[in-house]
Amino acid sequence: MLKTIREVFAFFFFLGKRSRKMKVFFLLSLLPVALAVLVRIAFAGRSSEVMSVFQEILMVYFLQFLIIILTLFYGTSVCSEEIEGKTLPYLTTRPLTKGGIIIGKFAAYTALSALMVFVSLAASYLIMSFEKLGEAATYGALLRYAGVLLLGLMAYTALFTFLGTFLKKSILVGLAFGFGWETAIQYFPGSTQRFSIVHYLKSLLPYYSEGKFSILMFRLEPTSPAVAVIVLLLITAGFLGLACLFFSLKEYMFED
Amino acid sequence: MTAVIETRNLSKWYGNVLGLSDVSLGIEPGITGLLGPNGAGKSTFMKLLTGQLKPNIGSVSIFGRRIWNDFGTFAKIGFCPESDAFYEEISGLEFLTGLLSFHGFSKAEVRARAAKALDIVGLTGDKDRKIRGYSRGMRQRVKFAQAIAHDPEIIILDEPLSGLDPLGKRKLIHLIKDYRDQGRTVLVSSHVLPEIEAMTSHIILIHQGKILAQGDIHYIRDLIEAHPHVISIKCGDPRGLAAKFVNEPYVLKILFGSSGDSLVVETHKRDAFFGRLNQVVLESALRVEEITSPDDNLQAVFDYLVGK
Amino acid sequence: MATIREKGYSHWDGALVERKLPWWPITRTGIQLAFRRKHFKFFFSVSFLPAVVFLVGIYISERIEDFKFMIQGSENLIKINPAFFKTYFTNDFLLFMMVMLLVFSGAGLIADDLKHNALQLYFSRPIDKKDYFLGKAAVIFFFILALTLVPGLVLFVMKLVFSGNFKLLTSYPWLLPAIIGYSALLTVFFAFYTLLLSALSKNRRYVTILIFAIYIFSDVVYGITFGIFRSPYVALFSLKANFQQAGAVIFGQRLPYAYPGYLSFLVLFGICAVSAAVLHRRIRGVEVIK
Repeated sequence: MLKTIREVFAFFFFLGKRSRKMKVFFLLSLLPVALAVLVRIAFAGRSSEVMSVFQEILMVYFLQFLIIILTLFYGTSVCSEEIEGKTLPYLTTRPLTKGGIIIGKFAAYTALSALMVFVSLAASYLIMSFEKLGEAATYGALLRYAGVLLLGLMAYTALFTFLGTFLKKSILVGLAFGFGWETAIQYFPGSTQRFSIVHYLKSLLPYYSEGKFSILMFRLEPTSPAVAVIVLLLITAGFLGLACLFFSLKEYMFED
Repeated sequence: MTAVIETRNLSKWYGNVLGLSDVSLGIEPGITGLLGPNGAGKSTFMKLLTGQLKPNIGSVSIFGRRIWNDFGTFAKIGFCPESDAFYEEISGLEFLTGLLSFHGFSKAEVRARAAKALDIVGLTGDKDRKIRGYSRGMRQRVKFAQAIAHDPEIIILDEPLSGLDPLGKRKLIHLIKDYRDQGRTVLVSSHVLPEIEAMTSHIILIHQGKILAQGDIHYIRDLIEAHPHVISIKCGDPRGLAAKFVNEPYVLKILFGSSGDSLVVETHKRDAFFGRLNQVVLESALRVEEITSPDDNLQAVFDYLVGK
Repeated sequence: MATIREKGYSHWDGALVERKLPWWPITRTGIQLAFRRKHFKFFFSVSFLPAVVFLVGIYISERIEDFKFMIQGSENLIKINPAFFKTYFTNDFLLFMMVMLLVFSGAGLIADDLKHNALQLYFSRPIDKKDYFLGKAAVIFFFILALTLVPGLVLFVMKLVFSGNFKLLTSYPWLLPAIIGYSALLTVFFAFYTLLLSALSKNRRYVTILIFAIYIFSDVVYGITFGIFRSPYVALFSLKANFQQAGAVIFGQRLPYAYPGYLSFLVLFGICAVSAAVLHRRIRGVEVIK
């Protein structure tokens, strides 16, 4: 199984790096860097507001748009692209476990998404906190943001991978979930918020500010960080496990 | 010889549509041609053999092991699918090395095997071109290359000659015969009969999901009593020759050619007819120029059994 | 004379015979294929919800006395005037449902043709590029007009019928052209938008994401930049904001954003022009292998 995962990861990471879509998504992920530069110019001398802008505005872009778009495409691609492209026999007639194929591709696409997101995150964050580059706390916060986004990428990719293994129109269901459910549920009070992935991601963010920028934290009733991490890892493992199970049991027929 | 691939009561439904019905057979080492018209069930059968589909009834085993989800056996199988589908953004070499790496070979061995396979199919010069830029024939050849690169014991080819030019077809047929000579098992499907005939005389004939016949073409032909054999003889005295056979009970019909130098005999006992023909030729010193059997071929067998 | 054939098809080099609507078979097929998709009929039906709600509103406006117990003191809410129509045409739900319909009916319009190398099949028939584009665009026209012009005209006519007079027409003679004009604007824009994205990839799934993502992205960018810079001009980034601004201009209402209304028209038509240029380059009967 591990050998399968390693080999499949290597092949699809290489394949993904080559694809034209990666370049488009990479450009999309660079928007925060451009905005960071603009913010530095617009808010020169007001570093506390700059950091608020990063958390409350740029993180909105990362959490509620970028990682959803990336994971939606790559997550559903784990299974769907092999079926649509009719390349599935090349994998399933090799000495590869079916679960290993799913996990290997999941890992490859998560790594690609993470690469794009981390480059953008690091660049935009370091531009925003230019005055504090000498402080260890700056890098601590950066690592925390990176960790939040990585957990988000893993959880969403696992969910969309699972959808891709058994739904024909997984992308539409994924869109409805990512931009419908995940957005709407945040405004519900009490425990209802806990039925979304983004709730746990927001609970892990380093700062809770009540200032004039409160788009991200609006009505947030955070869960404790430890519980949030465990839940996100469980979501990842759970959906990935289901995806492996479905992929092993299901037959896939190509449309001629 | 022991069968390498065995199926028992193998059946497959697509909803209410029967794809394959109660197929029980064994495939031994050598080349076996899987023949049938479009929609007969050839691809369904191959997908069941390669574990892409799960049987509704019955079983498929390769080397004595059930194939569904048995990934270990796939190290010994090479499959060339029918559909023209690739990872288009990579080169032929990258495609082969990528798929070979799944077999656990070392990097050096992967490169060596990929180079060898590309050389076999004649794509060494185009190995670094993206598959997107390959012609139809090149795509077919690289598809074949990925099926043989890991030296499998069983090679399953679904319409492998499709899209190839005549020279390419000839090379591939020659290659497939080499694999037979090495003792491997090759299963080739096609709906183009001369292609199968050029490779093997051992066939499985499938139609509407059912196996109509399995075995040697000539043996199957002999079994088809409903359709008498047709033998055409070109000789100096066709009417004289006809007179020698007209009283024989196994001769059903004699027709004379319009050119006046040939006759066509229909008989349901071919061996008896040829035995008598030899005698007649020797006794009467008749000059015989040509003897052909227009329907002792795959097309005739196919037509008779499929009922065209 | 040697004939050059690409993959078995030769370009149509005969005379293009004058016929009515050579693009119609392309449109008809596109619409039929859209309706064959699972759940499309559901989404299409749901898209008419705003029209039904507004129609009820028109009915209530003529029967205020009967519904007084419900609206008590809010009679002024249901005034049927250009603002009412503008609210219908620019409401978020309707725009969102239009984007969903584009995903269902438009994502594969050109992408599937590129994937299956079908362009050569089209251009080996007596149709030209113009007919191809028109045929494909007309599929989008059908669905967008079904949600804009048709309900708009129905609402207008039903108001005249329920009121029993032509007061709406005489009070606002430019309302009917405004309904037609704004419907045309949305229809033409969405046709160019969808066809551009569909022509950029052979992968329908990727195009689906692009159609949705760019629409949402434009709004997200507006939200972020407005949060930073607090300038109304950043609304030009948002497609939705541009529609609302253009709608306000066409229906003669107060502009929702504090910048000249013509800028929104420039943005929308600019996108259409870029789309036309890209489509002209992408769609050709010859496949270029790089």
